Amino acid sequence: MNSKWIRLTAIIAEREIRQRGRSRAFAVSTIVLLLVVAAAVVIPAILARTAKPQRVGIVGGQAAAMTEIVREAGRLTGTGVTVVPQPSLAAGEAALRSGQLDVLLVNDSEVVVKQVSLADSSGSGGGLASAIADVAGLSRLLGQLPPGAAGRGVTLPVRGLSPPSASLSRRLTGLFTVVLVWVLISAYGSQIAMGVGEEKQNRIVEVILASVRPIQLLVGKVTGIGVLALAQAALMVAVFLGLGAAVGSSLAHGAAPGIVIVGAVFLVLGYACYCTAFAAVILPVQVPLIVAYALSYTVIYANGANLFYKVLGFFPPTAPVAMPVLYAAGDVPAWQAAISAVLVAVGTVWMARTAATIYGRSILRTGSRVRLRQVLARGEAA
Amino acid sequence: MTVASRAASPEVAGREVSLELIGLRRRFGSVVALDGLTFSVPPGEVFGFLGPNGAGKTTAMRAIFGVVALEGGQVRWQGQPVTEQARRRFGYMPEERGLYPGMQIMEQLEYLGRLHDMTAASARDAARHWIKRLGLAGRESAKLEALSHGNQQRVQLAAALMHDPELLVLDEPFAGLDPGGVDDMTEILAERARAGVTVLFSSHQLDLVEHICQAVAIIHRGRVVTQGAVSDLERGDRPRLAVRVAGDQAGDWAARLDPALASVEQVNSGMVVLTLAPGADSQKVLDAARAAGAVEHFSFASRRLSEVFRDVTGEEA
Repeated sequence: MNSKWIRLTAIIAEREIRQRGRSRAFAVSTIVLLLVVAAAVVIPAILARTAKPQRVGIVGGQAAAMTEIVREAGRLTGTGVTVVPQPSLAAGEAALRSGQLDVLLVNDSEVVVKQVSLADSSGSGGGLASAIADVAGLSRLLGQLPPGAAGRGVTLPVRGLSPPSASLSRRLTGLFTVVLVWVLISAYGSQIAMGVGEEKQNRIVEVILASVRPIQLLVGKVTGIGVLALAQAALMVAVFLGLGAAVGSSLAHGAAPGIVIVGAVFLVLGYACYCTAFAAVILPVQVPLIVAYALSYTVIYANGANLFYKVLGFFPPTAPVAMPVLYAAGDVPAWQAAISAVLVAVGTVWMARTAATIYGRSILRTGSRVRLRQVLARGEAA
Repeated sequence: MTVASRAASPEVAGREVSLELIGLRRRFGSVVALDGLTFSVPPGEVFGFLGPNGAGKTTAMRAIFGVVALEGGQVRWQGQPVTEQARRRFGYMPEERGLYPGMQIMEQLEYLGRLHDMTAASARDAARHWIKRLGLAGRESAKLEALSHGNQQRVQLAAALMHDPELLVLDEPFAGLDPGGVDDMTEILAERARAGVTVLFSSHQLDLVEHICQAVAIIHRGRVVTQGAVSDLERGDRPRLAVRVAGDQAGDWAARLDPALASVEQVNSGMVVLTLAPGADSQKVLDAARAAGAVEHFSFASRRLSEVFRDVTGEEA
C-alpha cells in the first residue's frame, strides 16, 4: 500500500462523497433521522413534565409547614402535588410500595422514594423528590436548627426503598448506540450494495478496474460512503446530547465519555466490517448482525449479561453491536472492550480482503454465478 | 509515444511490435473462449481485430486490461509483461459501454482521467478538449443519461482518450454510430495512430475495417486463423486473375489450361476467375486466352476482406 494506492482510493472515495452528499436522498434521510432523534429525546421529556399530579406523603413534624414545602417544590418543578399526611413512617413506606404515594417527606430528616433514579442520585435531575429535598433542607436551615443538623447539608438525603437501578440510563445510552450502529449499517450497507450493483450493471467497473484494483474500488467506495455515514451519525449524536441536555432528558445522562468513545469506535468498526462485506454478498452476513441486535435488548433490560452474549461481544461479526451494550451496561471493563475492538479490526481487514476477492471475481463474470469454491480458490489472483 | 519507448519496442519477423498477446487461454465452463490466442500489434497502426460472434474478441481485449483472469499465456507491452502502471497508460472502450448514467459528463471524464494518473487540472483541460473535439460543447454539465445514444458513445470514446493513452483498445467502436459518428471515429483513430498510438479495435463491419486498418487479425474459436497487412490478405498468398474472352460464355478456354499454371475458381457469364499456381507466370495465361479469341478483360483480382473472413472462419461476419 503506497501513496499512489491511497491517492487512487481517495479519488474513488471523493466521488462517492460528492455524488451522494449532494443527492436529495442524503438530504432527506439526514433530516428524517435528525427529526427521529429529536422526537425520541424531546417527547418523553414533554410527557414527563405534563405528568399527572404527584401524591406526596408527609410524616412527623408540622403538617402546615411541610405542606408548604411540598407545594413550593411542586411550583419549582411545575408538578401538581397532592399532600397526603401519613400516620407513621411504616405506613408511608407501605403506601409508597403499593403505589398510592410517589414521594414521602419525613420531617427534617429525609425524602423517601420507591427507587432512586440515576438522575436524582447524581443531584443534577429536576425531579420532584429532589426539589422537595432541596426546599425542605432550605426551610430546615432557615428554621435555625442546631448547627449540627445544618452541618449535614442544605439538602435532605433522598432514600430509595428498593436498590437503585444505577445503570438504567447508561443502558439507554447503550441502546441508542446499538440502534445507531444498526440503522447506519443497514441504511448505508444497502447503499453500497446498490452502488456496486449499478456499477456492475452499467459495466463501468470494466473501465475502472482497467486502472485500479478491485480492493481499491471497494475500499474507496466504503470509505466515501462511510464518511457520509459518520457525518450523519455525528449530527445525530450532537442533536441527541444537545437536546438531551436542554430538556434534561434522562436518556442523555448515561452518555459518559467512555460510553460515547466505545460507541464511536464500534460504530466505525462495525460499519467498516459490514459494509465491505455488503459489497460482495448481503444475506449471509446480515445474520450475525440481526442476532446480536435482537439479543442486545435482553442485555439492556436484564441485570447482567449472560455468558453467551459476552462471547458475542468478542466475536468480530457480532461485537460491533454487542460490545457497546455490554460496556454501557457495565458488564465488561474498558480493557475488554479494547481487546474486542482489536479483534474486530483484524476481522475487518480479513473481511475487506475476502470481500474484495469475491467482489473482483463476481463483478467481471456477468451471466454466470460464481461458486463459492471458485471464489476461494486462487483468492490471491484478484 | 516517445522516441525512447519506440526504440524499446521489440521486433517480430522484422516488424516492430508494441502489443503482444502470447498463447492466451481461458475457458468459461465448457466454452473455450481463448485457445492459445497469439498475435502482435505494431505501433502507430490501426489494427483490426475480427472474428465471428463468440470468437473470443471481447475476452482477449479484457485480458489486455486484466479484467479477466487468464488460465495461460501472457500479454506484453513493449516487450515486458503488462503491469498495472502500464495499464493506466492504456485507453479502453468496452463493448458494453460503461459510464455512470447519473453523473455529469465533465465530472465523469475528469474522474476517469484522474484514475489514470492525471492531475485534477490536466484532467479538466483534457475533458474540455475532448468534449469540444467530439462536438459536445455546451453539454458539459449534462448528465450522461440525458444525452442521445450516439452522444453517449462519443463520451465513451472521450473517456478512453482522456489521458492520451499509448495504446487504445476499442471493442466494436462503430456499433450504433450514425454516419457522422463513424466519420469522426475513423478520423480520430487515424489521427491517434499517426501520433504513434497503437490502436486495436474489433468490428463486424468489414468494409469499414478494410478502409481504416493497415493490418488485421481474424480469430475463430479462440485462436488466430489469419493475420497480416490488409493489402496482403486481399491479394492472398497466390495471385488471382480475372479474364474474359469474347464469345466464350462458359469459359471453355480456361478448362484447357495446364493445372500447373492456374486453376479455375469460378466462371461468371464469361468472366473466369483463376488462381495462379505458385511461381507461375500470369503472361502465359494471357497467351492462352489470346489464342482462344479476343481478350476483353484481363486483370489481377483482389479478394474482399469479407471473402477472406468467410474462407478462414466458414462464417459470415
